[in-house]
Amino acid sequence: MTTVVAPRRRPPIVAVVVYTLGIMLHGKRWVGLALPCATAVLFGLLARALESSPSEDFAQVASTALFGLVLPVACLVIGDSALGSEIRSGSFAFTWLSPVPAWQIALGRWLGGAIIGGGMLAVAFALSAVVAGAAESADEAAVAAAFGTMAYIAVFLAIGCLVRRAAAWSLAYVFLVERLLGAALAGIAQISPGWEARAVFVELANGPTELFRDDIPQGSAAIVRLVAITVVALGLASWRLSHLRLSGSTD
Amino acid sequence: MSSLSPTPTPAQDPAFVPDATVSITDVSVWFGQKVALSELACSFGAGVTGLLGPNGAGKTTLMRAITGLLPVNQGNVLVAGVNPRSDRSAHRRVALVPEDEAVPRGLTPRGLCRYVADLHQVADRSIIDWALHAVDLMPVADRRMDGFSKGMRQRSKVAAALVKNPLVLVLDEPLNGADPVQRLALISLFRRLGDEGRTVIVSSHVLHEVESMAERVIVIVRGRLAAAGGHHAIRDAMDTVPRHVLVRCADARRLGSSLATLEAVGGVSFEGMDLVVSTTRARELAVALPQTARDLGIRLAEVRPLDDSLESLFRELVR
Repeated sequence: MTTVVAPRRRPPIVAVVVYTLGIMLHGKRWVGLALPCATAVLFGLLARALESSPSEDFAQVASTALFGLVLPVACLVIGDSALGSEIRSGSFAFTWLSPVPAWQIALGRWLGGAIIGGGMLAVAFALSAVVAGAAESADEAAVAAAFGTMAYIAVFLAIGCLVRRAAAWSLAYVFLVERLLGAALAGIAQISPGWEARAVFVELANGPTELFRDDIPQGSAAIVRLVAITVVALGLASWRLSHLRLSGSTD
Repeated sequence: MSSLSPTPTPAQDPAFVPDATVSITDVSVWFGQKVALSELACSFGAGVTGLLGPNGAGKTTLMRAITGLLPVNQGNVLVAGVNPRSDRSAHRRVALVPEDEAVPRGLTPRGLCRYVADLHQVADRSIIDWALHAVDLMPVADRRMDGFSKGMRQRSKVAAALVKNPLVLVLDEPLNGADPVQRLALISLFRRLGDEGRTVIVSSHVLHEVESMAERVIVIVRGRLAAAGGHHAIRDAMDTVPRHVLVRCADARRLGSSLATLEAVGGVSFEGMDLVVSTTRARELAVALPQTARDLGIRLAEVRPLDDSLESLFRELVR
């Protein structure tokens, strides 16, 4: 006798997370995620070409290239595919037109992105450390990548809810606000996932002194700061989601 | 009957129905300087209502306002007594099939239906198969929608909307891309849903299909309510607008010059060998035309109204 098992009913937030994972791991999106990870490993190889100690060389490369370039760009791809691109295409209406509260939608989308992004980038950054010959910094790189990813994705989700051209605005945020203003102004760097993720890594990995910034929190204090950025950005995204004007892809 | 008044009286005006499930009260929506809807007032009840208007008339904006996707700048939208914008529980009762061709990437029709069912905490999962069967997508239910044609995507979206078992079903150009057989099947489905007591609001550019499925029509032009009621009733009410009748006969010129002398005839013109008669008094012409032809000994091969369709109604309302 054959028993037909009806598909189980999932809680809405679980459905949103599973759905987000599905749309992000589909087709060419894989390439968009795999490319930054491969780049991270390549930067690890590049660190070998430097002439100081492997851990110092990796710290230099990681703070500049991994946390300054790979992390934000990868998170931008993930954050945009988790929400922004759906809002632009019009397919977000399937999610929005439900009784699920906006905060659950925002949290579910963020969780989906953070699971994939955090997992992949943590592994890639750790692998990069190993390839650079600084295996002792692998854990620290992974932790900093994971927390940095969480904060970045929350920020990019919020940007996706706030503006229509989310990818362009996110790029502007990374390169103009974080890199340009953040380098000069401590106030900006303190609310920047990139600078804070770098501060987590440099402190935990006991990196060279020239990489420390006195004017922003370091180590575990930076982790707390990243969590705070995540919470605030998710709150903003939730509020904005409940006030979205979804006029469709043609408008 | 038609409504051309901006402030209709609900009790008499055909823009309103008794026992309305969707009420639109003096709704205005604008995007910057562009006014998409202007003081629109109407209501929708059980059955199929066609939403008609030329491109840019405000149909999609109205549909999105009804589902709560768009906030209104002025006025009020109520679905089953609830504001769909401020009360998310309203989304249990209302479903939208958007015009956008986009479907979630990597998903199958069954996956999309399951996702919607999860979001709505639908207890009876057999409704997923029922919905897929209703739109004839069971054979491809587990294929990814990325490779689907426009028509198949539309049907997938209709299935996802049906999974919610909605009281109000809003369909924005749902027949786009569907082949003739599928069009007939979908029209039949929408009629059936309307007969079940659901409020089905459907917009389409293929107007003869709307005529065949909607017993009631709301016409929007430039964001305003232009007319409401049955399409024949609307047409009849527009008695100041000239109608055009094509007459095919052996001696069109002799018949034309004779008809031109009649009071019921506004003018005559020729399209090749055919005669086109313009009139604002169609009933009188219907009597006078065969009589005149008989008097002249001319045999009428064909007499056909040129503008008794919603396409022509659009043209006249827009003019």
